[in-house]
Amino acid sequence: MEVTLRRFELLDVDAMMTWASDPEVAAFCRWEPYASTESVLAYLRDTVLPHPWFRAICLAGDGRPVGAVSLEPTADACRGELGYVLARAHWGQGVATAAVRRALAAVFGEVEGLSRVEALVDVDNAASHRVVEKAGFRREGVLRRHYWHKGRARDLVMYSFVSGDPLPQ
Amino acid sequence: MEPEGDARHPGRRVEGSDAQPAPAVSLRPLGLEDVDAFMSWASDDRVMRHLKRPLCATREEAVAQIRDTVLGHPWFRAICVEGGRPVGQVNVWPYADEGGHRANLGYALAHDHWGRGIATATIKMVVGRVFEELPGLERLEAVTDVGNARSQRALEKAGFQREGVLRSYIVRRGPAGVDARDAAVYSFLSSDRPRLA
Repeated sequence: MEVTLRRFELLDVDAMMTWASDPEVAAFCRWEPYASTESVLAYLRDTVLPHPWFRAICLAGDGRPVGAVSLEPTADACRGELGYVLARAHWGQGVATAAVRRALAAVFGEVEGLSRVEALVDVDNAASHRVVEKAGFRREGVLRRHYWHKGRARDLVMYSFVSGDPLPQ
Repeated sequence: MEPEGDARHPGRRVEGSDAQPAPAVSLRPLGLEDVDAFMSWASDDRVMRHLKRPLCATREEAVAQIRDTVLGHPWFRAICVEGGRPVGQVNVWPYADEGGHRANLGYALAHDHWGRGIATATIKMVVGRVFEELPGLERLEAVTDVGNARSQRALEKAGFQREGVLRSYIVRRGPAGVDARDAAVYSFLSSDRPRLA
């Protein structure tokens, strides 16, 4: 599955609405489904466009985003947290794995001082475990009650990819 | 042959000895009046290189550190031994945007007081009270360099569970360039506290 990554534009609002409004997509995400195009536009303008590393996932040959991948800064410049989201129509086809691989290949060159990319995956999010493992992340352990997700304490699995780790082909 | 020693007798210290009980440890707020005691660990690179806090080279820097980072801190305590002046610090820092559910434990002990069980006693006291004093706290975590066996033992003896090793977690900038170190992550949950009968 071939994907490309590019920066978002405000014109991508309708494409983004496709996944941002979907409760099944939002289930394991930190946000609630968006109810209006206006709120997605505000998110694009205020969070996505100024973000240090946020990319649209496009299928090869198609300019319309089907999802997003981003690297969230942490307390230290050497560590970033990878997050991704994909419209439900494109689940189960290797798109997320391909996007995460592309992101890993890009961020170490593009983000100054980065040594470690982390992914924190809910213990119950089986699909995401498969994505990050196939993309070459290494599992490090379970962080107990690490995250309060929509009112409940969740155990998360910590994965990492450090500069120098091999990117799977 | 060098004689064996412990904290009370001259000679080589016995590492992490369980042979005698730790001295009586108490925790209290740290204030500007403690600046000289504070300097005894805050100016010592052997102690401070394990923390992300800057080294205090002068009394003025120590005063500024206390004023700027200690006085307004959500949970910061001086570690006192046998009712005397502070010999270290311990603090619990809730992570931003986490609703106060998760916090980080950090501590520093003056080098002369290492090997006496003070860190273990301190951490036990912290977990015994911080979950009440910071309402909503569910998870206390501690991150130590994989090479810091002393701290790992103290955390384990105090009941923390080791969850894994985080690769290239701590990056230090030294004269030779950037050095990425692995870190061990530990946690103590509010539900890990022993149940009262």
